[in-house]
Parts: sequence; C-alpha cells; structure tokens
Amino acid sequence: MDNVITPVPQVPLRHIFHGRGKAVLNASGNTASFSELSYQYPLKLLSPRTVVDGPVATVYVLSYGGGLVSGDRIDLEVDVGERCSLLMLTQGFTKVFRARGKTISDPGSDGAITRQRLSATVRSESLLLLLPDPVTCFARSSYSQIQTFDLAPDGSAIILDWFTSGRMSRGEVWELDRYRSVNEVQIDGKRVARDVMLLENLVPGRVKSRLAPYGCYATVFLFGPAVQPVLKSLRVEYDTIQQMQLGAPEPFIWSLSPLEKGKAGILRCAGKETETVRVWLRTALAEVGKLVGKDVYDKAFV
Amino acid sequence: MELTPPPNIAKPSLDDSEAYLLLLLADGNLPTGAFVASAGLESFFKHGFGGVGLGGGAGGVAVKQGADGTVEFLRNSVASYARSASPFVRDAHAVVAAYIRGEEGLGLEEALAKLGELDALYEAMTLNHVARRASTTQGIALLTLYSKGFTKPPGAPNGPNEEEGVDMEDFVVEMKLRIRRGKLSGHLPICWAVLTAALGLQAERSVWLHLFLHARALLSASVRLNTLGPYAAQQLLLHRVRPLVDEEMKRCAPLHAGLDDAIDGLEDDEDVRPANTWPLGEILAARHDLQHSRIFNS
Repeated sequence: MDNVITPVPQVPLRHIFHGRGKAVLNASGNTASFSELSYQYPLKLLSPRTVVDGPVATVYVLSYGGGLVSGDRIDLEVDVGERCSLLMLTQGFTKVFRARGKTISDPGSDGAITRQRLSATVRSESLLLLLPDPVTCFARSSYSQIQTFDLAPDGSAIILDWFTSGRMSRGEVWELDRYRSVNEVQIDGKRVARDVMLLENLVPGRVKSRLAPYGCYATVFLFGPAVQPVLKSLRVEYDTIQQMQLGAPEPFIWSLSPLEKGKAGILRCAGKETETVRVWLRTALAEVGKLVGKDVYDKAFV
Repeated sequence: MELTPPPNIAKPSLDDSEAYLLLLLADGNLPTGAFVASAGLESFFKHGFGGVGLGGGAGGVAVKQGADGTVEFLRNSVASYARSASPFVRDAHAVVAAYIRGEEGLGLEEALAKLGELDALYEAMTLNHVARRASTTQGIALLTLYSKGFTKPPGAPNGPNEEEGVDMEDFVVEMKLRIRRGKLSGHLPICWAVLTAALGLQAERSVWLHLFLHARALLSASVRLNTLGPYAAQQLLLHRVRPLVDEEMKRCAPLHAGLDDAIDGLEDDEDVRPANTWPLGEILAARHDLQHSRIFNS
C-alpha cells in the first residue's frame, strides 16, 4: 500500500478532508513488520526499510504540504503488537494554518477547527516511542488534538507532545486562536493520566503574556518497564538542581514529576527557542537509544 | 464609596445563616493547611519572574514591582485554577447535596463511589507532584476541620442538615478512612465541596468562595514573601480580586468535570471541560522543591 502513488485530487477551495490511517505492527521472531499500513489524504504513512537488530520499526506520519489546513481532520489508529518497538516520527513541524469559516462543500461542518486524533494500543512487552516534531500554530489557527494510549500492564511508552509559538521569523508569537491537546493514558483499562492543555486568545495577547518568555513548550510522558533507565537518568539529573534566586527567567526550564508511585513520570519543559528544547530533549532521552538502537533513535530530534 | 452587593450567580438573597458560614469559612485562622501553600508563587519569584527578587532589599521600588508580579501571577493562577478545579467542586457538591437530600439510589456507598471517581479523575488531571501533595494535604485538613470543628457538640440545637436524618459526620469519617486506606486521594476541590455541602452552603456560593480563598491565600503568601505590602494586599483584595473572581465564575459556570466522557467526548469545542491553561505555572509549581531555600511547602 505504501508503494502506490496517489494522485492529489483536484478539489474546490476549502473542501475539508478526513484522513484516516491505521498501522498495525507485529513481531515474528526477531523482526517486526506491519500487517497493516493504510492511509488516506491528507495523511500519509511511510515506513522506511532500515537494518535493525530486533523487532523494531519506524513510521513517519506525514501530511501533504507539511501542514494541516483549516478543517482538516486526521484520524490515526496504531497497534503496537507484543514484543515490538515502534518509533513514530514526523518530517518537520506540523504547521496548522489559519482557521477559515464554514466550508462550501459541507456547511454543516465546523470547518474552522483542525483536528488530529491518535488512538494507540501498546501491547504486552512492547514499546511505543512517539517523538514527533512540534505543532506550530500559525496566527488565527484553531487546533484540537486528542491522543489516547491503551497500555498493557507491561507495555511501555514515551510520548512527546510539544508546540511552538508560530512563525517567529515573522514576529508571530502565540497569535493562535485556540490550541487544545488532550493526552489520555490508560494502563490495563484504568485511566492514569488525562492531560488537557488549552490555550485560547479570548483577549488578543493573552496567551503571549501567559507563556512569555518561552516560545516552545513540551511535555513527555514516560510509562512502563522499558522506560525505567531513562526515568532514572532524568531523576538523577533533576535531583542535583539547587534553585537559587534568579534575576530573570532562564532561557530553558524543566520539571519532572513522578507518577504511579514513581514507576512512571511526566517531564515538562519550555525554552525561548525551539532548537534549545530539541537539543535538550535529544540528550535527555538518549538512554532510549539503548532500547531501539542508536541508528533508529538518531532519526528523532533531527 | 458605595459598596455594591456581593456577587450572586443564582440570585438568592443573602440570608443570615449563609452570611455566618461565609464569615467562618473566610477566617484567616481556619486550620485548612492553606497557610503553607503558595500555589507556585514562591517558585515564580525565585525563578526570576514577576520582576523582583526574594530576600533582596525591601524598599519602595521593590515592593511596587512585587505588586505587578503578584497581580500577574494572581490573574493567571486564578484563571487556571478556576478552569481546572471549579468543575470538580461543582460536580462533587452536587453529589453530596443529592445524598443529603436523600435522593433515590444515592446511599452512602454510591455517593462515596461517585466522589471517588471524581477524586481519581482530578488526580489523573493534576500531573504535578507538588500540586497533588498540596491538594491532598489541604483536602484532608478540611475533612478534619469538619469532624473536629464543625460537627455539633453535645447539647447544641439542630443545624440545617440534621432534619434530613443524614449524618454527614459518618460520611466524612468514612471518607477519611478510605483516604487512610489509599482508596481515595482526598483532593482539595472534592473535600471543599463535601465540607461546604455538609454545612449547607449552596453550590455556586461554594465555588465562588473557593476561588476567592485561593486568591486571598496567594495575596497572603505574597505579603509573607515580602513581595507585597500588607496594605497593598488589602487594596488588591477589595479592588482587583473581586472582578477577577467574578469573571472566572462567569466563564466557568458551564463547566463540569467530564467524568462520563467517552473517547469522543474528549473533544471540547464548547469549552465546558476542565483544562490546564497555564503551562508555565505548571512547570514553576512543580519545581517548587528544587528551591535551595523556601518558606512554603508548595
């Protein structure tokens, strides 16, 4: 399915698209392969053939044009089979363009909100690494993202969810209309986290004054047996911090909170520059390289 | 100066027993555990926000800068707390009020189970160990306050709830037992709702008071941090806090916790669900324990 070249359809302006996709990864012996890898415009899934040691696979989640137009909707289902490791990446920032009014083709729709939904199942002894590029909400954009993760009791996941303030080169800083992101994690059917991040410019400049001086915010969820070494290395570093009085905010800041009696964790960080956050995350999560191989991990945070 | 009547969402007249309850609950000496919580304010100043350094020289200029910083923090904190916690106060209050009324199918077990679900959802939505700690510490303090400070001593006349035949004292004892057994966390918004419903305070008044007390505690913390003068704190309380809390009450009126939202219900185009609206505040609050020296617990 991933070798078929799909011609981009000729469509009237402002037609909204609902791109569904599904990726199912299974292990057989020492390799992993997709029993399903389907997608619809504007979503595209790409799994490069790489030489890896073990049941590890990588999938790129792409959108045509590298961005999501007002009203677009992406619905992705992912199933990480037992003993597999799946690295999910994007190729470049997910740009969310400015919201537009009701669409011509579907006046009943709320054409304005751009939506992405990810529903992931992480089975026994498997690992999901969701390490996308950040979402960039352009001025006047309206974006809503729902990500749900169903983990087996011994399933593991590292989930990165981050966003930036816009086209900083254009002086566009937190001029989005609305950004909402939900991450819900269940372990063995029990909800352990429901993180809801909501930014709204009900009054122009409100978000900017609340989030200043940082232009990029990130959250990383860490769950499961496989993440313990990463969690430990983060905790060790965090515990050395002795915060003295500062005269002004630092260019980068991070916090780490234990979850599930210390067996899981949530890391939040913010930086004035997206690049600062990217470089920091790459180093902070470097232990992950031992789980999937350095070659695979190196594809993240490029 | 003309004082306008107090804010009143449901527009009942302010009767004497409600006024009395408000006086009691707004008492700064009430043992609620709020005294040691700054809700991230200390960390905010320590990390160089708010334009003034802690433990630096106190003087006219420094204190003024502190006032601006305090107001900035107050605005963002009240807005974010209103959005994340008030739906839980409202929903929990409704459960307890229904239980007290003797609603069909809502016995002690069912009511506690429902509160347990709300409590677990609040825990799942508060992913910050400092905030969790501060929330449960204060929550449990409120239950203790009810048991030891507000139950009827022997020989006193009947209170507003006793006619119903429902014993809130047993209810609270059972809740504390479950907390001790680890079945319940005992988060502040839920416990506040239990306390106020047990005392007979009406729902919207309870939510309003909770936000007011959150704001007031922040101002007290700022005074103790020497980032705000005591008179300036009173000025803010009279002139700034009220419109701020009123605005948030209006915005948060349609909110509910979203306990029964299935996957599709996780969308919230109408803005009726709890959310974290201040990621910077989250990080600063979580970093509280990293401070080399600190006077607050959170």
